[in-house]
Amino acid sequence: MEKLLNEEEFRTALEQAMSGRQAKNASFSMAWAQGKLERKHFARWAENHYHYVGPFADYLAYIYANTPDHATDAKDFLLQNMWEEEIGDVRHTDLLMRFAEACGTTEEKVMDPTGMTAATRGLQAWCYSVSMREHFAVATAALVVGLESQVPSIYRKQHPPLIDPDVYGFTEEEAEFFDLHITSDEIHGERGYQIVLKYANTPELQQRCIDITRDGADMRFAYTKALYDTYVAADLGNWSEVATAA
Amino acid sequence: MPVIRFATSDREIEFPEGEEVNILRVAIRNHCGLPFKCASGLCGTDRFTVVEGAEHLSAPRKRERDRLGDLIDQGVRLACQTYTSGDCTIIWDADQRGIDEDSRAGRRLRAEWLSEDDQA
Repeated sequence: MEKLLNEEEFRTALEQAMSGRQAKNASFSMAWAQGKLERKHFARWAENHYHYVGPFADYLAYIYANTPDHATDAKDFLLQNMWEEEIGDVRHTDLLMRFAEACGTTEEKVMDPTGMTAATRGLQAWCYSVSMREHFAVATAALVVGLESQVPSIYRKQHPPLIDPDVYGFTEEEAEFFDLHITSDEIHGERGYQIVLKYANTPELQQRCIDITRDGADMRFAYTKALYDTYVAADLGNWSEVATAA
Repeated sequence: MPVIRFATSDREIEFPEGEEVNILRVAIRNHCGLPFKCASGLCGTDRFTVVEGAEHLSAPRKRERDRLGDLIDQGVRLACQTYTSGDCTIIWDADQRGIDEDSRAGRRLRAEWLSEDDQA
């Protein structure tokens, strides 16, 4: 990319980088939204998801440390995001654990790192790697735009069937993890966009942000698809056949 | 297209028909001047009063009900927790800060971080 994109062009390019690879369209997400899963599948999801989102404040802390003092708004956003993850109210991983236990698994199993798929291990490692090594605008594009900003579109489809007594039948309390993130990640996502649009201020940085946003979306899609392939396919069959039959 | 009127800052923002949009997200994206701090319905800094179009707003979520209590009956909402699917007009106090700390979150933080002497 030779010329600097204006804000609108850059935002469009970031959005297009995720197009066609959003995790809401991965097999596990679609089976979830269509009411096809069982509590044992959600338990396996929680045992994996913990290892991806559990260290989220750690990832953000690495980005924070790489953010220069003059970028006060970016530093404040990262710190606020960490605070909300950990101590703003109920710790977000405690909400995840509450859901996990409602699905029949235990805190010990959720925290056991041997319980995750290779794709989950790859996603976690990618998050650590990007947050430690990349320019703060690029890391924000990866973790906040590429990953976190997708959350509302995923959970807005998954939360209603969770609390529908005729579908999965969880209580509002048990499913609070999802309702919380529908709204909070709308705002985190938008603030992430604002930081990337402001601080990716060379054509090279803009291109790097676009590329890594695409990578982030690919990582989350692969992680979500692996959950279906590993835990659900044995019960429901290959997703393309399930989807076709539906 | 439906319009959100941010009356206090005299801004009008359109959004696509058939979509449901988060009011704080729209305000941040378009620099509409609505004060905010957190994104989780904890601080209450982003509260607004709906003047028109309340029927287009999403029902109050658990966190909004916990944080605002009776204020919801007076037309007060939290922008971070509220979605709209149609025209609405909102106002707020441009200098407003978070709601008092006598909240569930405030009580929990005090219990966790302060000694009994500090809380006296």
